[in-house]
Amino acid sequence: MTETAVRDATSASGALLSVEHIVKRFTTPEGVLTALDDVSLTVAPGEFVSVIGPSGCGKSTLFNIMGGLVGDYEGRVSVGGETIAGTHPAIGMVFQEESAFPWRTVIQNVAFPLEIAGVAKSERLSRAQHFVGLVGLDGFERRLPAELSGGMRQRVAIARTLASTPSILLMDEPFAALDEQTRLLLGDKVLQIQQQLRQTTLLITHNITEAVQLSDRVLVMTYRPGKLKRIVDIDLPRPRTSEVVGSDAFGHYVARIWSDLREEASRGIREEERRALGEGEPR
Amino acid sequence: MDATDRLVMPRAGWSTPQRVRALRIGIVVTILVAWEAVAASGLLFRDVVPSLVAIGRALGRLLTDAAFYWNLGVTGAEIGGAVLIGGVSGLAVGLALGANRFLARAYEPFIYYLGPTPKIIFFPIMIMWFGVGSGSKVAMGALSCFFPIAISAAAGMREIDRVLIRVGTSFRASPWQMVTKIYLPALRRPLVNGIRLGLGIAIIGTLLAETKLSNRGIGYLIIQSYSTFDMPKMYALLIVLFVLAIGANALIGRFAGADTSSLDRGRPR
Amino acid sequence: MSARLGASRAAAALTGFGTLVAILVLVEALIRGGAINRFIVPLPSQVLVAIPRIIAEENVLHRLWETAREALWASVLIAVVGIALGILLYRFRLLRSATETWVAALASAPIVLMYPLFLVVFGRSAATIIAIGFVAGLPPVILKTLEGLVGARQVLIDVGRSFKLTDRQMFWKILLPAALPSIFVGLRLGLIFALINIVGVEFLINFGGLGQLINDLAERYDLPATYGAICFVILVSIVFFIVMERIERWMRPID
Repeated sequence: MTETAVRDATSASGALLSVEHIVKRFTTPEGVLTALDDVSLTVAPGEFVSVIGPSGCGKSTLFNIMGGLVGDYEGRVSVGGETIAGTHPAIGMVFQEESAFPWRTVIQNVAFPLEIAGVAKSERLSRAQHFVGLVGLDGFERRLPAELSGGMRQRVAIARTLASTPSILLMDEPFAALDEQTRLLLGDKVLQIQQQLRQTTLLITHNITEAVQLSDRVLVMTYRPGKLKRIVDIDLPRPRTSEVVGSDAFGHYVARIWSDLREEASRGIREEERRALGEGEPR
Repeated sequence: MDATDRLVMPRAGWSTPQRVRALRIGIVVTILVAWEAVAASGLLFRDVVPSLVAIGRALGRLLTDAAFYWNLGVTGAEIGGAVLIGGVSGLAVGLALGANRFLARAYEPFIYYLGPTPKIIFFPIMIMWFGVGSGSKVAMGALSCFFPIAISAAAGMREIDRVLIRVGTSFRASPWQMVTKIYLPALRRPLVNGIRLGLGIAIIGTLLAETKLSNRGIGYLIIQSYSTFDMPKMYALLIVLFVLAIGANALIGRFAGADTSSLDRGRPR
Repeated sequence: MSARLGASRAAAALTGFGTLVAILVLVEALIRGGAINRFIVPLPSQVLVAIPRIIAEENVLHRLWETAREALWASVLIAVVGIALGILLYRFRLLRSATETWVAALASAPIVLMYPLFLVVFGRSAATIIAIGFVAGLPPVILKTLEGLVGARQVLIDVGRSFKLTDRQMFWKILLPAALPSIFVGLRLGLIFALINIVGVEFLINFGGLGQLINDLAERYDLPATYGAICFVILVSIVFFIVMERIERWMRPID
């Protein structure tokens, strides 16, 4: 079990994704809010990295910045050495909210990026079929999302993003709306796929079990202004399944991360209370 | 945090409200200029597009004519009567249907399916029953606005959060207290919206009846200006009518809006 | 449980229809008894008999077709112009901010009262009727199209951005499909508003299909037939409305 203190991660030259000194501020009616304060991280090819933090730590902002959906920040994000400006075809995004197109069938959803790329119909349907099978939705190709469960709809979104064969897969709490058991099993699926495809992945989550179960490294963030608090290398053996959740080593990792997280979460709660009390005062 | 992700920096130059106002003025001016151009060119025959000056003059004559105000009064009274009769009966029926599920299943389909039908075709019957005077016009207006008010009242009644009723019952509120302290406040917004809708429809129903068969009222004046081919007067009448109708709607809207915003302010954070 | 529900539903329906029949029987009795003047209210039995007579004698099918034709024209115009304007207002934000309240005000304004004006412009013809139908049915289509486009879920737009869609692809592949359910609601509302005004104006200017039928019979002082015609038109109106509802419900699963 090894821990690494925060260090300047830009020195890792083999990095596929490189996030350097990101500072993001917002102007709100209450003043200037610093969401992210000098965040840097790297993701090596084939790595599975999780970013975990309390609510209000800016992890969704980080996700949007890395994906190129949000601009106007200091610092730089690069993929394979190339600085991004806006969304980039090498970056695939899976969102927290349900994002399967309700008007398209499962197979049409998954074939979407191929359709955009101009791939011929028969070819793109067969390619999409491969990814539909990968996420375990064989037999549901012609169903509409409304006929599927929440977990299945998220699998459609994941398959669709995978079908665009991104260099790096970014996921923002994709299992947030699901119950714990479904999460664990879907986590298994994601792990399987990631190991099979050697897909470089960065997962944003608030769920410690999920982070430790799936990742090679877990990055813990502080409460706002968001900074990297700690990097934890997860030395659990691969290939992994959800059974690893019961092991001792697993428990130790979770405990370690939880103590950091708890500190930040309590800080967050105290801040919120202070702010609410301050707002309520003039009557 | 997601809400703040999409914050946009303000643009240089005019602020948005200023630009909106400028665009609105621009649109209105363009329409008026185009109108005057068409009027002057004589493109459309028979004085169909009279010059703005002529319309303005007709408007002036209208607003200084005692007969106009008398007719306006007649129409106003008819609409008032229509809203009163149609509104009260619509409310009563709607609330009853909203409160009782059996009654709703038995009778609401009638109201629901009769709603989107043209009521003006009942006018010959109204004339037979109530004569050619104001009675048939009031009846027409009342018949028209009964349906949307009943439907809104029923819907409003059903949408009252069941929890609120249970709270009242658990505090052993008397029926009168239940009505005044729980039902009425909860119904305020849907009722105001229903009445707004009902007023608009009553205006239409009453006025259409006046245009079909009457010798007084604004509708009568409009048809009279049609048959005497006094186009500027017709435009003037239509302008006054629309201003009053839209104004009344906006007034009620503001009245309702003011009410609900004060509700929000009182809510604990 | 569902059997009991079915039974109570049947009981309610029976009560509803039963009340209607009871009222008609009561009215029949009161008229025969002289309590109600039979020159103002005809015997319900006579009205009932008059309806098939009207259908046979008054060329009802042709009239229905007349009204339907007017409605068809109005619908096409409403759909094309309404959706186009809705898209325009979506695309140009400033225009939207400036005119959205105007369109909403128009939706509640008594537009049909302008029919004498349209009479002057188009004469006593189908064009007047179609024009009124068009103006009456337009606002809901514009507003619902706009609402559908603006209301497209942000995450779907983000998906489009993450796949680097061009503006055109974004519009056709994401925004428009997302807005379609709302657009259909708008079209249904627009069609209903249009039809109500079309039949109404047909009656008022004594031209066209179903509306004119009522006028003709009223002027003939054929009391049972007048009542019968009104009932017939109301019936057609109700059937049409039910059909529209069914169609919308059938389209709903795409949502």
